[in-house]
Amino acid sequence: MAPNRREIFAAFLAAAAARRLAGAEDEVTVAGKRSLIWHNDRPEDLETPLRYFDTWATPVDAFYVRQHIPRPAPIDGGAYRLVVNGLVSKPVTLTLADLQRLPQQTIPATLECAGNGRAFFRPQVPGIQWSRGAVGNAEWSGPRVADVLALAGADPAAAFLEIDGADTGVGGTPDFIRSMAMKKALDPSTVLALRMNGQPIPDIHGFPARLIVPGWCGSSFVKWVTRLSPAAARHNGFFMNPAYRFPKTAVPPGGAAAAADLEPIEGMPVKSTITVPEDQATLALGPQVIRGFAWAGEEAIERVEVSTDGGSRWSDAELSPQKLRFAWRLWQLRWQPANAGYYSILSRATDSAGRVQPVVPLWNPSGYLYNAIDRVGVKVEKKS
Amino acid sequence: MKGRLILIAGALAACALAADPALVARGEKEEARSCVACHSLRIVHSQRLSKAAWGRELDKMAGWGTKVDDRDALVEYLAANFGDDKPPQPAVLTQDGTQQKK
Repeated sequence: MAPNRREIFAAFLAAAAARRLAGAEDEVTVAGKRSLIWHNDRPEDLETPLRYFDTWATPVDAFYVRQHIPRPAPIDGGAYRLVVNGLVSKPVTLTLADLQRLPQQTIPATLECAGNGRAFFRPQVPGIQWSRGAVGNAEWSGPRVADVLALAGADPAAAFLEIDGADTGVGGTPDFIRSMAMKKALDPSTVLALRMNGQPIPDIHGFPARLIVPGWCGSSFVKWVTRLSPAAARHNGFFMNPAYRFPKTAVPPGGAAAAADLEPIEGMPVKSTITVPEDQATLALGPQVIRGFAWAGEEAIERVEVSTDGGSRWSDAELSPQKLRFAWRLWQLRWQPANAGYYSILSRATDSAGRVQPVVPLWNPSGYLYNAIDRVGVKVEKKS
Repeated sequence: MKGRLILIAGALAACALAADPALVARGEKEEARSCVACHSLRIVHSQRLSKAAWGRELDKMAGWGTKVDDRDALVEYLAANFGDDKPPQPAVLTQDGTQQKK
Protein backbone atom coordinates (compact mmCIF):
# COMPACT_ATOMS: atom_id res chain seq x y z
CA MET A 1 0.00 0.00 0.00
CA ALA A 2 1.38 3.42 -0.93
CA PRO A 3 2.12 5.55 2.14
CA ASN A 4 -0.61 8.10 2.78
CA ARG A 5 0.02 11.80 3.18
CA ARG A 6 0.25 11.58 6.96
CA GLU A 7 2.83 8.81 6.82
CA ILE A 8 4.92 10.83 4.36
CA PHE A 9 4.61 13.86 6.63
CA ALA A 10 5.58 11.80 9.70
CA ALA A 11 8.63 10.44 7.87
CA PHE A 12 9.55 13.98 6.83
CA LEU A 13 9.28 15.18 10.42
CA ALA A 14 11.41 12.30 11.69
CA ALA A 15 14.08 13.00 9.07
CA ALA A 16 14.04 16.71 9.86
CA ALA A 17 14.43 15.94 13.56
CA ALA A 18 17.34 13.60 12.90
CA ARG A 19 19.07 16.22 10.76
CA ARG A 20 18.82 18.97 13.31
CA LEU A 21 21.71 18.66 15.70
CA ALA A 22 20.16 20.84 18.39
CA GLY A 23 17.05 18.70 18.20
CA ALA A 24 13.84 20.29 19.39
CA GLU A 25 11.44 21.63 16.79
CA ASP A 26 10.07 25.11 17.40
CA GLU A 27 6.48 24.24 16.73
CA VAL A 28 4.29 21.28 16.02
CA THR A 29 0.65 20.76 15.10
CA VAL A 30 -1.32 17.62 15.96
CA ALA A 31 -4.22 17.05 13.56
CA GLY A 32 -7.63 17.12 15.23
CA LYS A 33 -6.28 18.61 18.47
CA ARG A 34 -6.52 22.11 19.86
CA SER A 35 -3.42 23.82 21.15
CA LEU A 36 -2.26 21.50 23.97
CA ILE A 37 0.72 21.39 26.32
CA TRP A 38 3.50 19.81 24.32
CA HIS A 39 5.49 17.15 26.20
CA ASN A 40 6.36 14.96 23.22
CA ASP A 41 5.30 14.77 19.59
CA ARG A 42 7.00 11.51 18.51
CA PRO A 43 4.98 9.79 19.87
CA GLU A 44 2.26 12.20 21.07
CA ASP A 45 2.17 13.10 24.75
CA LEU A 46 -0.10 16.12 25.08
CA GLU A 47 -1.66 17.69 28.17
CA THR A 48 -4.94 19.59 28.38
CA PRO A 49 -4.52 23.22 29.51
CA LEU A 50 -6.83 23.96 32.45
CA ARG A 51 -8.78 26.60 30.51
CA TYR A 52 -10.41 23.88 28.36
CA PHE A 53 -11.92 22.16 31.40
CA ASP A 54 -15.16 24.10 31.49
CA THR A 55 -17.58 21.26 30.71
CA TRP A 56 -18.46 17.94 32.36
CA ALA A 57 -17.54 15.98 29.21
CA THR A 58 -14.06 16.91 28.01
CA PRO A 59 -14.26 17.63 24.25
CA VAL A 60 -12.37 15.08 22.17
CA ASP A 61 -10.25 17.80 20.53
CA ALA A 62 -9.09 18.98 23.97
CA PHE A 63 -8.61 15.52 25.53
CA TYR A 64 -5.08 14.67 26.69
CA VAL A 65 -3.00 12.08 24.82
CA ARG A 66 -0.50 9.61 26.25
CA GLN A 67 1.26 7.29 23.75
CA HIS A 68 3.95 4.95 25.06
CA ILE A 69 5.06 3.88 21.60
CA PRO A 70 4.16 5.25 18.15
CA ARG A 71 0.62 4.87 16.88
CA PRO A 72 0.04 1.89 14.56
CA ALA A 73 -0.66 2.65 10.90
CA PRO A 74 -4.24 3.98 10.67
CA ILE A 75 -6.70 1.10 10.96
CA ASP A 76 -9.38 0.63 8.32
CA GLY A 77 -12.65 -0.23 10.10
CA GLY A 78 -13.57 -2.77 7.42
CA ALA A 79 -10.27 -4.62 7.72
CA TYR A 80 -10.13 -4.50 11.53
CA ARG A 81 -10.09 -7.83 13.37
CA LEU A 82 -10.23 -8.64 17.08
CA VAL A 83 -8.90 -12.03 18.14
CA VAL A 84 -10.18 -13.66 21.34
CA ASN A 85 -7.91 -16.58 22.20
CA GLY A 86 -6.03 -18.09 25.14
CA LEU A 87 -8.00 -19.91 27.86
CA VAL A 88 -11.24 -20.08 25.87
CA SER A 89 -13.33 -22.99 24.63
CA LYS A 90 -13.61 -21.60 21.07
CA PRO A 91 -11.15 -18.93 19.83
CA VAL A 92 -12.93 -16.37 17.66
CA THR A 93 -11.98 -13.55 15.28
CA LEU A 94 -14.44 -10.66 15.35
CA THR A 95 -15.06 -7.78 12.96
CA LEU A 96 -16.07 -4.23 13.88
CA ALA A 97 -19.60 -5.09 12.70
CA ASP A 98 -19.64 -8.06 15.13
CA LEU A 99 -18.79 -5.68 17.99
CA GLN A 100 -21.41 -3.17 16.83
CA ARG A 101 -24.08 -5.91 16.83
CA LEU A 102 -23.56 -6.70 20.53
CA PRO A 103 -25.63 -4.67 23.06
CA GLN A 104 -23.99 -1.23 23.42
CA GLN A 105 -23.39 0.30 26.85
CA THR A 106 -22.55 3.92 27.56
CA ILE A 107 -20.27 4.45 30.57
CA PRO A 108 -19.25 7.91 31.78
CA ALA A 109 -15.74 7.61 33.16
CA THR A 110 -12.78 9.79 34.03
CA LEU A 111 -9.54 8.74 32.37
CA GLU A 112 -6.36 9.80 34.16
CA CYS A 113 -2.73 9.04 33.49
CA ALA A 114 -1.01 7.48 36.51
CA GLY A 115 1.64 10.20 36.14
CA ASN A 116 -0.78 13.17 36.25
CA GLY A 117 0.84 15.66 38.66
CA ARG A 118 4.30 14.10 38.42
CA ALA A 119 5.84 17.56 37.96
CA PHE A 120 4.87 18.45 41.55
CA PHE A 121 6.90 15.72 43.27
CA ARG A 122 10.10 16.77 45.07
CA PRO A 123 12.68 15.44 44.58
CA GLN A 124 11.84 15.39 40.89
CA VAL A 125 11.42 12.02 39.19
CA PRO A 126 11.94 10.87 35.61
CA GLY A 127 9.00 10.64 33.22
CA ILE A 128 6.69 13.05 31.45
CA GLN A 129 6.35 16.16 33.58
CA TRP A 130 2.55 16.25 33.61
CA SER A 131 1.05 18.96 35.77
CA ARG A 132 -2.78 18.97 36.20
CA GLY A 133 -4.10 18.13 32.75
CA ALA A 134 -3.34 14.45 32.07
CA VAL A 135 -6.96 13.72 32.86
CA GLY A 136 -10.34 13.99 31.12
CA ASN A 137 -13.94 12.85 31.46
CA ALA A 138 -15.91 11.24 28.63
CA GLU A 139 -18.85 9.01 27.78
CA TRP A 140 -17.55 5.74 26.36
CA SER A 141 -19.88 3.44 24.36
CA GLY A 142 -19.44 -0.09 23.14
CA PRO A 143 -20.03 -3.74 24.02
CA ARG A 144 -19.26 -5.09 27.47
CA VAL A 145 -16.00 -7.02 27.60
CA ALA A 146 -18.01 -9.80 29.32
CA ASP A 147 -20.24 -10.09 26.24
CA VAL A 148 -17.24 -10.19 23.88
CA LEU A 149 -15.53 -12.90 25.95
CA ALA A 150 -18.76 -14.93 26.10
CA LEU A 151 -18.55 -15.38 22.29
CA ALA A 152 -15.34 -17.37 22.83
CA GLY A 153 -16.34 -19.08 26.07
CA ALA A 154 -13.73 -17.90 28.60
CA ASP A 155 -12.45 -20.67 30.87
CA PRO A 156 -13.50 -20.09 34.51
CA ALA A 157 -9.88 -20.93 35.50
CA ALA A 158 -8.67 -17.75 33.78
CA ALA A 159 -7.98 -15.34 36.63
CA PHE A 160 -6.61 -12.64 34.31
CA LEU A 161 -7.34 -11.05 30.96
CA GLU A 162 -4.40 -10.07 28.75
CA ILE A 163 -4.98 -7.20 26.30
CA ASP A 164 -2.86 -6.19 23.30
CA GLY A 165 -3.31 -3.35 20.84
CA ALA A 166 -2.13 -2.85 17.26
CA ASP A 167 0.80 -0.68 18.35
CA THR A 168 4.19 -2.38 18.57
CA GLY A 169 7.48 -1.20 20.05
CA VAL A 170 9.97 0.90 18.10
CA GLY A 171 13.50 -0.53 17.98
CA GLY A 172 13.85 -2.72 21.04
CA THR A 173 11.12 -1.02 23.10
CA PRO A 174 8.57 -3.45 24.49
CA ASP A 175 5.10 -4.02 23.07
CA PHE A 176 2.29 -2.40 25.06
CA ILE A 177 0.50 -5.38 26.61
CA ARG A 178 -1.58 -5.15 29.78
CA SER A 179 -3.32 -7.59 32.13
CA MET A 180 -6.15 -7.17 34.56
CA ALA A 181 -7.99 -9.37 37.01
CA MET A 182 -10.80 -11.24 35.22
CA LYS A 183 -13.18 -10.06 37.96
CA LYS A 184 -12.71 -6.45 36.77
CA ALA A 185 -12.82 -7.49 33.10
CA LEU A 186 -16.23 -9.11 33.66
CA ASP A 187 -17.61 -6.11 35.58
CA PRO A 188 -20.63 -4.82 33.62
CA SER A 189 -19.01 -1.36 33.48
CA THR A 190 -15.89 -2.60 31.66
CA VAL A 191 -16.46 -2.01 27.95
CA LEU A 192 -14.67 -2.17 24.64
CA ALA A 193 -15.50 1.38 23.57
CA LEU A 194 -16.19 2.10 19.91
CA ARG A 195 -17.37 5.65 20.59
CA MET A 196 -16.10 8.55 22.69
CA ASN A 197 -18.58 11.34 23.51
CA GLY A 198 -20.90 9.96 20.82
CA GLN A 199 -18.45 9.91 17.92
CA PRO A 200 -16.28 7.03 16.66
CA ILE A 201 -13.07 7.03 18.71
CA PRO A 202 -10.50 9.01 16.73
CA ASP A 203 -7.31 7.24 15.68
CA ILE A 204 -5.19 9.12 18.21
CA HIS A 205 -7.39 7.70 21.02
CA GLY A 206 -7.50 4.11 19.76
CA PHE A 207 -9.81 3.67 16.73
CA PRO A 208 -11.76 1.48 16.35
CA ALA A 209 -11.82 -0.10 19.83
CA ARG A 210 -10.43 1.04 23.14
CA LEU A 211 -10.65 -0.80 26.44
CA ILE A 212 -12.41 1.20 29.16
CA VAL A 213 -11.69 0.04 32.71
CA PRO A 214 -13.65 2.57 34.77
CA GLY A 215 -11.89 3.85 37.86
CA TRP A 216 -8.54 2.28 37.03
CA CYS A 217 -5.33 3.93 35.98
CA GLY A 218 -5.17 5.13 32.36
CA SER A 219 -2.58 2.51 31.40
CA SER A 220 -5.38 -0.10 31.54
CA PHE A 221 -7.33 1.76 28.83
CA VAL A 222 -5.55 -0.05 25.96
CA LYS A 223 -6.02 1.56 22.52
CA TRP A 224 -6.48 -0.11 19.10
CA VAL A 225 -7.36 -3.40 20.86
CA THR A 226 -6.66 -6.39 18.59
CA ARG A 227 -6.37 -9.28 21.05
CA LEU A 228 -8.10 -10.37 24.27
CA SER A 229 -6.68 -13.48 25.92
CA PRO A 230 -8.02 -14.97 29.15
CA ALA A 231 -4.99 -16.33 31.03
CA ALA A 232 -4.16 -18.12 34.28
CA ALA A 233 -1.44 -15.64 35.29
CA ARG A 234 -0.80 -11.92 35.02
CA HIS A 235 1.29 -10.87 31.99
CA ASN A 236 4.76 -9.87 33.18
CA GLY A 237 6.00 -7.62 30.35
CA PHE A 238 7.51 -4.18 30.92
CA PHE A 239 4.21 -2.28 30.99
CA MET A 240 2.98 -4.52 33.85
CA ASN A 241 6.33 -4.94 35.60
CA PRO A 242 8.19 -2.76 36.53
CA ALA A 243 6.07 0.00 34.90
CA TYR A 244 2.84 1.18 36.54
CA ARG A 245 3.65 -0.21 39.97
CA PHE A 246 3.38 1.61 43.28
CA PRO A 247 5.09 0.91 46.64
CA LYS A 248 2.95 -1.19 48.99
CA THR A 249 4.25 0.86 51.91
CA ALA A 250 5.42 4.46 51.76
CA VAL A 251 9.06 5.23 50.97
CA PRO A 252 10.94 8.37 52.05
CA PRO A 253 11.11 11.08 49.35
CA GLY A 254 14.13 10.34 47.16
CA GLY A 255 14.31 6.76 48.41
CA ALA A 256 14.12 3.50 46.51
CA ALA A 257 11.64 0.64 46.55
CA ALA A 258 12.63 -2.99 45.97
CA ALA A 259 10.79 -4.71 43.11
CA ALA A 260 9.14 -7.08 45.59
CA ASP A 261 7.68 -4.10 47.46
CA LEU A 262 5.80 -2.77 44.40
CA GLU A 263 2.33 -3.76 43.25
CA PRO A 264 0.36 -2.99 40.07
CA ILE A 265 -1.71 0.20 40.15
CA GLU A 266 -5.42 -0.53 39.77
CA GLY A 267 -8.08 1.80 41.20
CA MET A 268 -7.20 5.51 41.31
CA PRO A 269 -7.17 7.74 44.40
CA VAL A 270 -9.49 10.63 45.35
CA LYS A 271 -8.46 13.97 43.86
CA SER A 272 -9.64 17.48 43.01
CA THR A 273 -8.30 20.13 40.66
CA ILE A 274 -8.88 23.88 40.71
CA THR A 275 -9.46 25.15 37.16
CA VAL A 276 -10.53 28.74 37.97
CA PRO A 277 -8.85 30.99 38.97
CA GLU A 278 -5.55 30.17 37.33
CA ASP A 279 -2.47 29.90 39.51
CA GLN A 280 -0.80 33.30 40.00
CA ALA A 281 -3.72 35.15 38.35
CA THR A 282 -4.51 38.75 39.30
CA LEU A 283 -8.19 39.29 40.14
CA ALA A 284 -10.13 42.52 40.59
CA LEU A 285 -11.56 42.94 44.09
CA GLY A 286 -15.18 41.81 43.76
CA PRO A 287 -17.29 38.63 43.57
CA GLN A 288 -15.42 35.56 42.31
CA VAL A 289 -16.24 31.95 41.50
CA ILE A 290 -13.71 29.25 42.34
CA ARG A 291 -14.32 26.07 40.39
CA GLY A 292 -12.88 22.78 39.27
CA PHE A 293 -13.52 19.06 39.11
CA ALA A 294 -13.08 16.11 41.47
CA TRP A 295 -12.91 12.36 40.90
CA ALA A 296 -12.22 9.21 42.89
CA GLY A 297 -11.32 6.15 40.81
CA GLU A 298 -13.92 3.46 41.43
CA GLU A 299 -15.74 5.56 44.03
CA ALA A 300 -17.99 8.62 43.72
CA ILE A 301 -17.26 12.13 44.98
CA GLU A 302 -19.06 12.89 48.22
CA ARG A 303 -17.76 16.31 49.11
CA VAL A 304 -15.36 19.05 48.00
CA GLU A 305 -14.16 21.69 50.44
CA VAL A 306 -12.39 24.89 49.52
CA SER A 307 -10.20 27.17 51.60
CA THR A 308 -9.19 30.69 50.60
CA ASP A 309 -6.87 31.25 53.55
CA GLY A 310 -4.29 28.52 53.10
CA GLY A 311 -6.29 25.88 54.93
CA SER A 312 -7.39 27.54 58.18
CA ARG A 313 -11.06 27.54 57.34
CA TRP A 314 -12.91 25.39 54.80
CA SER A 315 -16.26 25.82 53.03
CA ASP A 316 -18.28 23.18 51.20
CA ALA A 317 -18.32 23.70 47.44
CA GLU A 318 -21.49 23.18 45.42
CA LEU A 319 -21.31 19.91 43.42
CA SER A 320 -22.77 19.06 40.01
CA PRO A 321 -25.86 16.87 40.64
CA GLN A 322 -24.82 13.58 39.01
CA LYS A 323 -23.06 11.52 41.67
CA LEU A 324 -21.55 8.60 39.76
CA ARG A 325 -18.87 6.07 40.46
CA PHE A 326 -16.04 6.43 37.89
CA ALA A 327 -16.96 9.90 36.57
CA TRP A 328 -15.90 13.26 37.92
CA ARG A 329 -18.13 15.92 39.46
CA LEU A 330 -17.73 19.61 38.75
CA TRP A 331 -17.70 21.89 41.79
CA GLN A 332 -17.81 25.59 42.48
CA LEU A 333 -17.77 28.06 45.35
CA ARG A 334 -18.75 31.72 45.28
CA TRP A 335 -16.11 33.82 46.94
CA GLN A 336 -16.09 37.49 47.93
CA PRO A 337 -12.58 38.45 49.00
CA ALA A 338 -12.84 41.05 51.79
CA ASN A 339 -9.62 42.85 50.96
CA ALA A 340 -6.95 43.20 48.33
CA GLY A 341 -3.94 40.95 48.87
CA TYR A 342 -2.49 37.53 48.10
CA TYR A 343 -4.66 34.45 48.71
CA SER A 344 -3.78 30.74 48.79
CA ILE A 345 -6.78 28.79 47.56
CA LEU A 346 -6.99 25.05 48.31
CA SER A 347 -9.41 22.29 47.33
CA ARG A 348 -9.90 18.98 49.15
CA ALA A 349 -12.15 16.14 47.97
CA THR A 350 -13.73 13.30 49.98
CA ASP A 351 -15.16 10.20 48.30
CA SER A 352 -17.95 7.72 49.02
CA ALA A 353 -15.46 5.34 50.69
CA GLY A 354 -14.37 8.10 53.08
CA ARG A 355 -11.01 8.71 51.43
CA VAL A 356 -9.79 12.31 51.73
CA GLN A 357 -7.01 14.01 49.76
CA PRO A 358 -3.80 14.23 51.81
CA VAL A 359 -1.84 17.39 52.57
CA VAL A 360 1.45 15.67 51.69
CA PRO A 361 1.67 13.63 48.47
CA LEU A 362 2.94 10.04 48.63
CA TRP A 363 6.33 10.42 46.95
CA ASN A 364 7.30 7.35 44.91
CA PRO A 365 10.21 6.69 42.52
CA SER A 366 8.09 6.79 39.34
CA GLY A 367 5.97 9.77 40.32
CA TYR A 368 2.59 8.05 40.13
CA LEU A 369 -0.76 8.90 41.75
CA TYR A 370 -0.08 12.47 42.88
CA ASN A 371 -3.25 13.46 44.72
CA ALA A 372 -2.35 16.04 47.36
CA ILE A 373 -4.81 18.86 48.10
CA ASP A 374 -4.71 21.23 45.11
CA ARG A 375 -3.46 24.76 45.57
CA VAL A 376 -3.34 27.99 43.58
CA GLY A 377 -2.19 31.47 44.60
CA VAL A 378 -3.94 34.63 43.40
CA LYS A 379 -3.41 38.34 43.83
CA VAL A 380 -6.54 40.39 44.46
CA GLU A 381 -6.26 44.08 43.56
CA LYS A 382 -8.59 47.02 44.16
CA LYS A 383 -10.16 48.25 40.94
CA SER A 384 -8.61 51.58 39.94
CA MET B 1 47.57 30.12 55.49
CA LYS B 2 44.52 28.15 56.51
CA GLY B 3 42.27 30.63 54.68
CA ARG B 4 44.34 30.28 51.50
CA LEU B 5 44.10 26.48 51.64
CA ILE B 6 40.32 26.70 51.91
CA LEU B 7 40.28 29.06 48.93
CA ILE B 8 42.34 26.65 46.85
CA ALA B 9 40.17 23.72 47.90
CA GLY B 10 37.09 25.75 46.97
CA ALA B 11 38.49 26.62 43.56
CA LEU B 12 39.29 22.96 42.89
CA ALA B 13 35.77 21.93 43.90
CA ALA B 14 34.31 24.57 41.57
CA CYS B 15 36.44 23.19 38.70
CA ALA B 16 35.21 19.69 39.44
CA LEU B 17 31.58 20.89 39.42
CA ALA B 18 31.79 22.91 36.20
CA ALA B 19 31.18 20.68 33.19
CA ASP B 20 33.87 20.49 30.52
CA PRO B 21 32.42 22.46 27.56
CA ALA B 22 34.02 20.16 24.98
CA LEU B 23 32.52 17.11 26.68
CA VAL B 24 29.11 18.80 26.85
CA ALA B 25 29.28 19.70 23.14
CA ARG B 26 30.09 16.08 22.31
CA GLY B 27 27.17 15.00 24.47
CA GLU B 28 24.79 17.20 22.51
CA LYS B 29 25.91 15.56 19.27
CA GLU B 30 25.50 12.13 20.84
CA GLU B 31 21.94 13.04 21.86
CA ALA B 32 21.08 14.08 18.30
CA ARG B 33 22.54 10.83 17.02
CA SER B 34 21.18 8.27 19.43
CA CYS B 35 17.91 9.58 20.93
CA VAL B 36 15.83 10.95 18.05
CA ALA B 37 15.26 7.67 16.23
CA CYS B 38 12.58 6.70 18.76
CA HIS B 39 11.25 9.94 20.25
CA SER B 40 11.37 13.72 20.06
CA LEU B 41 13.86 15.56 22.25
CA ARG B 42 11.19 17.58 24.02
CA ILE B 43 10.43 14.62 26.31
CA VAL B 44 14.10 14.70 27.33
CA HIS B 45 14.51 18.45 27.64
CA SER B 46 11.41 18.91 29.80
CA GLN B 47 12.84 16.75 32.61
CA ARG B 48 15.14 17.94 35.40
CA LEU B 49 17.19 15.09 36.84
CA SER B 50 20.39 14.53 38.77
CA LYS B 51 23.40 13.13 36.93
CA ALA B 52 22.80 9.74 38.55
CA ALA B 53 19.15 9.75 37.47
CA TRP B 54 20.13 10.68 33.87
CA GLY B 55 22.54 7.75 33.95
CA ARG B 56 19.72 5.41 34.97
CA GLU B 57 17.56 6.72 32.11
CA LEU B 58 20.37 5.92 29.64
CA ASP B 59 20.66 2.43 31.13
CA LYS B 60 16.93 1.94 30.54
CA MET B 61 17.26 3.06 26.91
CA ALA B 62 20.34 0.84 26.41
CA GLY B 63 18.24 -2.08 27.66
CA TRP B 64 15.84 -1.34 24.78
CA GLY B 65 18.61 -1.46 22.21
CA THR B 66 19.79 2.16 22.00
CA LYS B 67 23.48 2.27 21.04
CA VAL B 68 25.12 5.19 22.84
CA ASP B 69 28.80 5.49 21.88
CA ASP B 70 29.71 8.54 23.93
CA ARG B 71 27.82 7.81 27.14
CA ASP B 72 29.95 9.93 29.50
CA ALA B 73 29.57 12.95 27.24
CA LEU B 74 25.81 12.45 26.95
CA VAL B 75 25.35 12.20 30.73
CA GLU B 76 27.48 15.30 31.18
CA TYR B 77 25.46 17.24 28.60
CA LEU B 78 22.12 16.20 30.14
CA ALA B 79 23.18 17.02 33.70
CA ALA B 80 24.67 20.37 32.62
CA ASN B 81 21.55 21.50 30.73
CA PHE B 82 18.68 19.59 32.31
CA GLY B 83 19.94 18.94 35.83
CA ASP B 84 17.72 18.98 38.90
CA ASP B 85 19.27 22.34 39.83
CA LYS B 86 17.69 23.96 36.75
CA PRO B 87 14.27 25.67 36.84
CA PRO B 88 11.38 23.67 35.34
CA GLN B 89 10.75 24.18 31.65
CA PRO B 90 7.82 26.56 31.06
CA ALA B 91 4.84 24.98 29.30
CA VAL B 92 5.03 25.11 25.50
CA LEU B 93 1.86 24.64 23.46
CA THR B 94 1.30 22.85 20.18
CA GLN B 95 -0.38 24.77 17.33
CA ASP B 96 -4.15 24.49 16.83
CA GLY B 97 -4.77 21.38 14.69
CA THR B 98 -8.58 21.37 14.77
CA GLN B 99 -8.80 22.45 11.12
CA GLN B 100 -6.68 19.49 10.06
CA LYS B 101 -8.10 16.04 9.33
CA LYS B 102 -7.59 13.65 12.24
